Amino acid sequence: MVIAEQLTRTFGNHVAVRDVTFSVKAGEIVTLLGPNGAGKTTTMRMLAGLIPPSAGRIRINQIELSDATAGLARNAVGLLTEAPGLWERLSVRTNLLTYARLQGVENPEQRVADALSLVDVADRDSDTAGTLSKGLKQRVAIARALLHTPPVLLLDEPTSGLDPASARQVRDLIRAMRLDGRAVLVSTHNLAEAEELSDRIGILKTQLLALDTPAALRGTKDSGRVVIELEGTAEPLEIAIADLSEIPGIVARLVGGGARIIRITPDRRSLEDVYLDLVGVDQ
Amino acid sequence: MTFSWSRVAALARKDAAELIRNPGAIIPAVLMVFGSLFPAFLILVITPRLTGETLEESGAFAEGAAAAVGLIPELAGLSGNARAQGFMFHQFSLLLLLVPVVGALSLATHAVIGERQSKALEPLLSTPISTVELLAAKTLTPFAFALTLTWMAVAIYLLGAAVFAEPGVFTSVAGVRLLVMFVILGPLVELAALLVSVIVSSRATDPRSAQQISALLILPITGVFVAQLMGVVTVGTGGMLVAALGCLVVNGALLWVGVRVFQRASILMRWR
Repeated sequence: MVIAEQLTRTFGNHVAVRDVTFSVKAGEIVTLLGPNGAGKTTTMRMLAGLIPPSAGRIRINQIELSDATAGLARNAVGLLTEAPGLWERLSVRTNLLTYARLQGVENPEQRVADALSLVDVADRDSDTAGTLSKGLKQRVAIARALLHTPPVLLLDEPTSGLDPASARQVRDLIRAMRLDGRAVLVSTHNLAEAEELSDRIGILKTQLLALDTPAALRGTKDSGRVVIELEGTAEPLEIAIADLSEIPGIVARLVGGGARIIRITPDRRSLEDVYLDLVGVDQ
Repeated sequence: MTFSWSRVAALARKDAAELIRNPGAIIPAVLMVFGSLFPAFLILVITPRLTGETLEESGAFAEGAAAAVGLIPELAGLSGNARAQGFMFHQFSLLLLLVPVVGALSLATHAVIGERQSKALEPLLSTPISTVELLAAKTLTPFAFALTLTWMAVAIYLLGAAVFAEPGVFTSVAGVRLLVMFVILGPLVELAALLVSVIVSSRATDPRSAQQISALLILPITGVFVAQLMGVVTVGTGGMLVAALGCLVVNGALLWVGVRVFQRASILMRWR
């Protein structure tokens, strides 16, 4: 559904994104994690056909992105921007109707009603957009991204600034989009959210530093230690190992020495540890 | 993708709905209507009534009127105070050209900057709308609004001539010269103001500087008006047509530039 190959984007002398390659399949959620200025929004904008890459190729829903095909490709993409970007003086319905007409959807009135029902905001359709809470605005913005039933969704910081309840509702909506078979690319700073939502996570800092499933990302970064809790001792033992295959030998020696083992845990690192290792602690 | 009027209409309709709810955009344009009408009525109606001296009696106006007959033939059928009044109504009508310019600048700037202020530009640009369609939509609504205001101002002006001036003045003022000024030249001047405003907005990083640069368009009109009042020039119907032709050429060039500078990536990065 989405294929990015060796994407690079420069602004003058500044390289915002360098040589980034990844793909997002139908029914998959891929999250781009990275610090501020890492190039997440620039990558999203390139994929949405808003800014052309300085180098590299993009395919959206089988369409090779170019000046000539950008309009078609944009029809295949639903973009949720970091700020909801609603026209605050207008009603929710007028906001969405305008977009439905710009997207050229058939029966726009019905489509707007359907999209608002999907995000559970149908009862607020006559309200002026400026009077809605941030969570409701974000749900309206999601409805806007879904109006033309795009196969690809690009969600830039979808839960940024939302309270926990609103953020959960938005995450539930994103999961529902995966179930609909859409390719979903999310950008976020929120590690817990990325881990909870994503099939795969890409860690971006100008370049794509890693791209894998959350479990594999954690697994690729063992700390090289094993933690052993023993009966009768307050502090667990931490033993450095080169490989997990050393554990049976360690257990045998401890038991042979009369120790009673309660639990043995390979010290796997959290996604946060992996992230900070890759992007640098100062981030 | 081919040009789609339905996309232009959808966005222009939205802009109209927003403008109606935005007094900050409409008030300067409406104030300009009164601002351009007031000096004329002050000199042509209020002052003579307060001083008891007609325009003809003040001398300079009568001389100016006599000298202008060659360029403004509509004055030929008038005499005495009516001719002086007709001459001054013709002179002050140029001030009404500020209405489409100021109206266009105020309304277009809001139509453009409003997208940035509501952070709606990025989602808007992510739709299939082309930059040419966006340019057309962003020009259409302010154009229609400002032109309506201009014609309302002209209607009030003519009503004033009909009610307060001497017999014959109204028919002299409501002639070919006024028709050329507000049906041909006015819309062309307005379109130039709109295109300059949109082009500058798409390149400037600061909205205020965009407004200030665009506002420079007022200077030529004000300059000609002042020159007319000082008796340096009198712009007749022929002069209006030449100005309209010049405006047409300028608009062609502005449109050519506008389409080229109004690019997605450029306005997305600059309109923040």
